[in-house]
Amino acid sequence: MNAPLRASPLHDALAAAQWTTINQMQVASHIGTPTEDRAKLQTIALADLSHLKRCGLKGLDAEAWLKSVDIEPPTAINQWAPLGKCGLIARLAASEFFIEDNAGQDYADRIHTQLGRGVPGVTPVLRQDAAIALSGPLVNELLLQTCSFNFAAINLATRPIVMTSIIGVSVLLIPGARNNVPFYQLWCDATYAVYLWEHLREIAEELGGGAVGLATISPNINPEQS
Amino acid sequence: MSKRLPTVAGEWIDRNKPLEFTFEGQRYSGFVGDTLSSALHAAGVRAMGRSFKYHRLRGIASMANHDVNTMVQVGDKLNLRADVTPLEQGMNAIAINTRGGLRADRLAIMDKLSPFMPVGFYYKAFHTPKSFFPKWERTIRNTSGLGEIKFGAPRVKTPKRYDFCDVLIIGAGPSGLSAAITAADADAQVVLVDENPQAGGSLTYQRGVDDHVARALDELLRAVHQRRNIRVLLATEAAGYYGDHWIPLVDKHKITKMRARAVIIAAGAFEQPAVFRNNDLPGIMLASAAQRLIYHYAVKPFDRVVVLSANTEGYRAALDFHGHGISVTALVDLRAQGDVSEFAARVQKAGIKILKGFCIYEALANRAKDNVAALTVCPVAANGEPQMHAAQTIQCDGVAMSVGFAPALNLLYQAGIKSRYDPIVEQFVPSQLPPGVFAAGRANGAYFMQGKIRDGERAGLEAARYLGLGAPVGPAIVPAEVSSPTHPYPIIDHPKGKNFVDFDEDIQVKDFINAAQEGFDNIELMKRYTTVGMGPSQGKHSNMNALRILAKITGKPIQEIGTTTARPFFHPVPLSHLAGRSFYPERVTPMHSRHSALNAKLMQAAAWLRPEYYQVHGKSKDEAVREEVRAVRQSLGLIDVGTLGKLEVYGTNAAQFLERVYTGRFANMKVGMTRYAVMCDESGVMMDDGVVARLAEQHFYFTTTTTGSATVYRELTRLNTIWRLNVGIVNVTGHYAAVNLAGPRSREVLQALTDFDVADVAFPYLGAREGNVGGIRARLLRVGFVGEVGYEIHVPAEYGVALWDMLMQAGQRFSIRAFGVEAQRLLRLEKGHVIIGQDTDGLTSPFEAASGFAVKMDKPFFVGQRSLKIIQSKPLRQVLIAFVLDRSYAGASPKECHLVIDGDNMAGRVTSVALSEALGQVIGLAYLTPSLANIGGKFMIRIDGGTLVEATIVKPPFYDPDGARQKSEAAPTAKAAA
Repeated sequence: MNAPLRASPLHDALAAAQWTTINQMQVASHIGTPTEDRAKLQTIALADLSHLKRCGLKGLDAEAWLKSVDIEPPTAINQWAPLGKCGLIARLAASEFFIEDNAGQDYADRIHTQLGRGVPGVTPVLRQDAAIALSGPLVNELLLQTCSFNFAAINLATRPIVMTSIIGVSVLLIPGARNNVPFYQLWCDATYAVYLWEHLREIAEELGGGAVGLATISPNINPEQS
Repeated sequence: MSKRLPTVAGEWIDRNKPLEFTFEGQRYSGFVGDTLSSALHAAGVRAMGRSFKYHRLRGIASMANHDVNTMVQVGDKLNLRADVTPLEQGMNAIAINTRGGLRADRLAIMDKLSPFMPVGFYYKAFHTPKSFFPKWERTIRNTSGLGEIKFGAPRVKTPKRYDFCDVLIIGAGPSGLSAAITAADADAQVVLVDENPQAGGSLTYQRGVDDHVARALDELLRAVHQRRNIRVLLATEAAGYYGDHWIPLVDKHKITKMRARAVIIAAGAFEQPAVFRNNDLPGIMLASAAQRLIYHYAVKPFDRVVVLSANTEGYRAALDFHGHGISVTALVDLRAQGDVSEFAARVQKAGIKILKGFCIYEALANRAKDNVAALTVCPVAANGEPQMHAAQTIQCDGVAMSVGFAPALNLLYQAGIKSRYDPIVEQFVPSQLPPGVFAAGRANGAYFMQGKIRDGERAGLEAARYLGLGAPVGPAIVPAEVSSPTHPYPIIDHPKGKNFVDFDEDIQVKDFINAAQEGFDNIELMKRYTTVGMGPSQGKHSNMNALRILAKITGKPIQEIGTTTARPFFHPVPLSHLAGRSFYPERVTPMHSRHSALNAKLMQAAAWLRPEYYQVHGKSKDEAVREEVRAVRQSLGLIDVGTLGKLEVYGTNAAQFLERVYTGRFANMKVGMTRYAVMCDESGVMMDDGVVARLAEQHFYFTTTTTGSATVYRELTRLNTIWRLNVGIVNVTGHYAAVNLAGPRSREVLQALTDFDVADVAFPYLGAREGNVGGIRARLLRVGFVGEVGYEIHVPAEYGVALWDMLMQAGQRFSIRAFGVEAQRLLRLEKGHVIIGQDTDGLTSPFEAASGFAVKMDKPFFVGQRSLKIIQSKPLRQVLIAFVLDRSYAGASPKECHLVIDGDNMAGRVTSVALSEALGQVIGLAYLTPSLANIGGKFMIRIDGGTLVEATIVKPPFYDPDGARQKSEAAPTAKAAA
């Protein structure tokens, strides 16, 4: 029997105008009309990126194991690095890593298969996070209303990751910019996703933006894309 | 007649934008930029409110955000301070605290009854006869109180915002402005806040008809605006000070939580009233209030004013009045020597009569008693006694009081400063500041413009230096005041009283004397007995005078009297601002939309929203739950158990780790099996339970209670930090969806969807398997929590919906029912299973909770073992037993927490109880004194109303005692199992 479609934890909160299927998951390509979605990028736009495949691993030998499969992890804790063409690997702790693929990559699936139940010193970590992109000049304003972390003080050139809390939900966040416009990606436990999304969307709408489909923010979501 | 002045340079009103509004039903007009008070005063309205206790007419006092006697209600919004509430088009305001309106207030009689209502009268008057007290209490509650809460008012959601800066400067007066410029020049990112709609502080109104002041202000403002690293937030109050320089900034729409690296508090000072008889009459106000009316709102505060002064500011105010067409009838100076400043010379030159060494003995009201009409003034002796033999009467329609200041040290106190009383300036000044906190301006006793500006510069440099910017700086500017800005005792006693110290609560001088006589003679006790400083203004105009009075009564210096504790908030903050948007994190499982579609009634379990039961049109909750239970017992049910905590342990020491964590034995578990597991804390109290599955030799997957996952994960992580075993612990609670497919038909449905054998032999009771269910990689645990054949199916969260849909569809042929928490509770109760937190509490050991079977005391070690050994060696306090009520019992059912009564004693309590349809009687679990806990024994439960109901102790489980149904060994029918 074939595996059924995956479902984004945000699927029912999206009310999309147009859907497409990527990675065996229904993805909102547009929430409103393309013009309406694009207009939101002028202030603040939110998009669901939960369809991207991801995995985690941890353990004292995790770094060495990654290198053994030709993946170069970031050297510093709370730092990310590009993976392949447009994926990323983030170092969450001394010996804990998070990997996310993008279009056309299969690092996550390969690692998942290779690790199986784990290898000595390395523990696989199932990652079923909700993933959300925040884009637009008012991203920082949205975060100021929801998070006590001062994002304005960080240096994007160091490729930082931030583990913090947004309206009471623990999140992993990569701040970035595309064409000098803030482009942040965040991940959270999928069971909190609807709560987080609804509040972020409500505030974004007050700021003149709102939810958009994947087509609006471009399928290639590398935070350093220029 | 309009009291609006011709255009005043720098006025805050926009004369091109008129506004219409009503107050107490009368129509008035004002301008954008007016406050309600300024517009009313401009319209000739002097009496704007009633006092709290004696319902005396009151008017403008401060215009500085503590005019608590002119609070108004505007629609749903109550207790708006009219002195700072911006006027809006169509505003419909009424005075609070009246019965019948401001002019016809029926409670005005309270003023006549005031001799019978001194401070604390209710403590003494209404305690006998005791039976009358509730009536008095009701009467007092109905009579008092400010404003009317509209319960139908809509919930207003306001944003909360975080913000950050290097230096936060509170107060945009001359000190704050100069501090901002200096800190900014040292490259600090500066935020400058002020509660007023325009920056400038006292420079905007304490002018003395002196252009030099306005020019200085313009220069400062220009310099601020030129610096891009200064952000100015106006109409924004710094509401409190919290640790690590965390300051809530409150504006009209929101609270901003400002995190600063350093804070400069340059909040100025509160001008203080003089205390004399009838000092509360409308028309009597602080000189600064009158100056604000003139310079901010272009309103003429009086026609004929007497200035009561004890400092240079009073002379400056007299010049301001004179310069704006107000007749200054006299300047009454409390000081025998008068004033020697340039302003005094100018006052004299203007022909204003100066009465040196005089006081106001009393104020006299006009016929309507809504404004001051005359004053009795007389010389005052050096000891403060009025010399009435030389009294004279002065006609006037206003009094401007300028007798001194109390620095706004509230935020500094909250920040943890120490202070000392400085007799040179007659005020408390900071003597020790915590790191990163700086004071400037009037807080340090600097009152003249240049002193304030220089002190601000010094504070700005100090703050920059603290942040590693700029050069070292010197100490605070010692004020070079010619004379003290504050009189040491501006209080005139009067045999008839009504000389008010605290306008919030109508507290007079005699109230302090009485309080001291009754032994409340330290400031904290006196505050609580008299309630001074406990009203809406929080003592801004009264605390300092109260300290002076207490110092005089006790003969102690003020330094020894000390100050009361300053607590947030600095000004009242709307509750809607505090509530914000109401962020309460909620978790839902991946199948949440399916529950909604099935009309689930949701309940909260920790942060989770779970279906309590599925509502059925036309049926009650009990009926719906019974149908769900029946479906599981007779055919097939499906419950979402994704809220259970789900953890994994990997590694060579995984089994050893679980042996240490749980009370049971896991090292000997076979791969592919599960085991019930109990976790205790170090004191042997049951903390959590769940099912542990061994998926591989070095890989365990286990569940925790719904509320316990985060706690358990944290505890396991903590323990292994100590033990350093070779294990990896992963919390996958949110990453797996899980359901329990339960009922006699569950195997048939599951088999059709799987690629492996689920028959009893291949997949026995308590087995664990991994395989595909409908094409989804799944973990399956053969469980028996509800007492039927059951399979917990765990899949990656993204497949949760697909799994649910698949099972519901496949189960249609067996009339599958989704069942909720309520049905599950009943099903497990029929099996006698314990729920942690419901059938246990924070003191329950496994031995008490009939869970001793899960405790292997012969293991070398597990958490709580040592305590359990001690518990085991002593008689148990209580034991959990199963009970039934007689089948013929038709009365009200006991409820959880109802007490077990043995004679006159409490002998236990019910923890779970329900009517079991399968058994045809009420069943339950209860804690009992061990001596009563004998199978077949009877005991009494006291239910609501006090009725005693007899229960019989039985051996659990109630249903299918051999467990044949869940093991599926020639399963009996549900009826037979019962």
